[in-house]
Amino acid sequence: MTKENVQGAGEDEQQAQSKKALKKQQKEAEKAAKKAEKQAKLAAEQQEADEDDFAKDRYGISPMVQSQQKLDRALVRVQDLTPEKAEQQIWVRARIHTSRAKGKQCFLVLRHQQFTVQALLAVGDRASKQMVKFAANLTKESIIDVEAVVKKVEQKIESCSQQDVELHVERIFVISQSEARLPLQLEDAVRPEGEGDEEGRATVNQDTRLDNRVIDLRTTTSQAIFRLQSGVCQLFRDTLINKGFVEIQTPKIISAASEGGANVFTVSYFKTSAYLAQSPQLYKQMCICADFDKVFCVGPVFRAEDSNTHRHLTEFVGLDIEMAFNYHYHEVIDSITDTMVQIFKGLRDRFQTEIQTVNKQYPSEPFKFLEPTLRLEYKEAVAMLKAAGVEMGDEEDLSTPNEKLLGRLVKEKYDTDFYVLDKYPLAVRPFYTMPDPNNTKYSNSYDMFMRGEEILSGAQRVHDAQLLTERAMHHGIDLEKIKAYIDSFRYGAPPHAGGGIGLERVTMLYLGLHNVRQTSMFPRDPKRLTP
Amino acid sequence: MPMYKVKPVSPGDIKIDLPTCMYKLPNVHAQRMNCGEHALQNGEVDPALKALEERQDEVLRRLYELKATVDGLAKTVTTPDADLDASTLSRGPAEAVFRGTADLDSLLGKDLGALRDIVINANPGHPPLSLLVLHALLCQRYQVLSSVHVHSSVSVVPPPLLSCLGPRHIDSYVRQRFQLGFTLIWKDVSELQMKFNTQSMCPIEGEANVARFLFRLLSAEPQDPVTVTQMDSWIDTAVFQLAEGGSKEQAVTLRSLNSALGRSPWLLGQEFSLADIVCACCVLRAGLNTSAAANVQRWLESCQNLGHFDCVYPLLQ
Repeated sequence: MTKENVQGAGEDEQQAQSKKALKKQQKEAEKAAKKAEKQAKLAAEQQEADEDDFAKDRYGISPMVQSQQKLDRALVRVQDLTPEKAEQQIWVRARIHTSRAKGKQCFLVLRHQQFTVQALLAVGDRASKQMVKFAANLTKESIIDVEAVVKKVEQKIESCSQQDVELHVERIFVISQSEARLPLQLEDAVRPEGEGDEEGRATVNQDTRLDNRVIDLRTTTSQAIFRLQSGVCQLFRDTLINKGFVEIQTPKIISAASEGGANVFTVSYFKTSAYLAQSPQLYKQMCICADFDKVFCVGPVFRAEDSNTHRHLTEFVGLDIEMAFNYHYHEVIDSITDTMVQIFKGLRDRFQTEIQTVNKQYPSEPFKFLEPTLRLEYKEAVAMLKAAGVEMGDEEDLSTPNEKLLGRLVKEKYDTDFYVLDKYPLAVRPFYTMPDPNNTKYSNSYDMFMRGEEILSGAQRVHDAQLLTERAMHHGIDLEKIKAYIDSFRYGAPPHAGGGIGLERVTMLYLGLHNVRQTSMFPRDPKRLTP
Repeated sequence: MPMYKVKPVSPGDIKIDLPTCMYKLPNVHAQRMNCGEHALQNGEVDPALKALEERQDEVLRRLYELKATVDGLAKTVTTPDADLDASTLSRGPAEAVFRGTADLDSLLGKDLGALRDIVINANPGHPPLSLLVLHALLCQRYQVLSSVHVHSSVSVVPPPLLSCLGPRHIDSYVRQRFQLGFTLIWKDVSELQMKFNTQSMCPIEGEANVARFLFRLLSAEPQDPVTVTQMDSWIDTAVFQLAEGGSKEQAVTLRSLNSALGRSPWLLGQEFSLADIVCACCVLRAGLNTSAAANVQRWLESCQNLGHFDCVYPLLQ
């Protein structure tokens, strides 16, 4: 290359550069001009907005409630919003269930437990555009305080629980904001399975629910289930207290496995180890030997069974009864069945709203029972099963499918979902079961069934130390481990019998649900330890 | 040890009559008394009088016994023969066939070890009176385990309905000892329903049909077809016209009952049968017994005398 070319090229470049630079400058100038324009516009709008926002102090995010002040303000519950309160101006605290903006209006559905009500915010002389925009942008599940006027509506609002009224919002403040992205949508969680598949909408599967239990428990169905469960517990206590029973609390950390060595949790206990109680059996019986006559206890039961079925949990709430009787263990069966019937009656009479709510998502037949409770004998059950074509031995235990079939046969003939099966074969019962005096192959033991599934296993207990030792040896149990148990019968023990039910299982079967995890708030099974 | 021992001379247990009266004086007041009056004055009873009293007691007792016997005879004489034993049935051209006691196995199917339980679902607003009468008859013939239950579809049942099958049998906790089960369930049903063997039998509906089924278990059905048809006809008349009919139909039925009962003691002639049970129960339930004609009244009294209807009257209030 010659020097002149290089120079020429350099000059060209310079010229080109200056052209490029000019162009660049021009572009930048344009950009700046546009930006300035935009900013001016925004500023103008902002000014407009600020000017027009007359409702600025009627909405916003409240500072976090740290108990700064005591407001003399009565909050009305959503369930109390009825036509009687029409035209009243009241404050409501609820969650945002849904929010929908439509031009100058915003429809909110506010929810508190099982109750929902519609709220309306429209641009007008009380609310500005910014306020409506703010309301429409609130995240679901946020807790808000709303001051509104209750208005009657002519057409019933079918989708809410409070169908005759609507709120016209005056002020709206956020007390606790929820994150925008929820792990599950409540509407999906309440949708019945079939409906979800048909319309192509989502339903939430069980694992997701259990992982986000806090949100899942907010659904109307969950609220209804656990209120009913609370009712079961309360009716159990009330009925037994009225019958003269005493409530006791038994220890859960024990030194020896009560039912059998296999399914027990071990805990380290200082320098040795101890076990978590599989049932309060031993302590109930000791209370009877200590002259308490009739006892019951409500407490956790721990079973380390590696069964992943629809009806097994590793930890559940056990409601146990033990009672001394005069001459025949049927006195105890009558007492237990009467307690169960009182519980069913109480649920039927006082919890219909909850039962209907659960049925919306999980439809099932209402629970039927007879009073006094039907009692069949094991031999009869075997005959009924044989007549229906099942092959089984006379002293064989009932398998789960046989139990279900028997439940269906009994339902067909007697139209009851609850019955007692008496006189089980001795060979399939634990060592502390009293044998039948008239036939050594059978025992004074009984099982109770709801909807074909077993809920209670009970028997007359052996109250004689001698016989108890014999039975334990017959079952090959190490006498050293149960020495304390046998000793409690050596100083005069009354004849007694009893049984225990699982709270979660009873609730599940009463409502006709299919998985016990739905009735356990924070269930524990071999695969789940949190929440 | 004593030194000397002497045998007792006299036994130690001689009863010595110690006198209680120190001095005895003759009675100053009376002149000449014979022993009887004397004894009376002192409060002792003359043995002759005692014998007389005893004879009076004896006579009175025999009198009461005779009265009871006569009462019983009167009832038997006025009440036509109502023995339901099959061996005495001898009506119609066919020869009397001795059928013996019913064999439950042949009537109901082989027993596989389960208690043969007859389940009846009835509405407490319409108690099935004829079935209660049949239950009493069944209890006489077989060992029946009776129980009454209230279904969860009904909240309250008046106490007489809970004890309508009588007191619980002492052995009722051992189901195996019974031949037949009779389970009455008060339930919210529109029509009375009976279930027996759900595998092989469909439920039987209607009080009359269940009554026919239970009557067959007593094996007291008349043999000849004419009588059987008459019985069915009376049962249908009772159910459709007496129980469910208007006052006109009821009056017509009562008239035909009256004329039939004028000819014979029971509706089918000389034998008590299901027709009498069902008709009587329908008349009683409709409250027509007080205003009925003479023959019908007499017939209702005879039914009551039999004793089977005792369970029905407490429920009529």
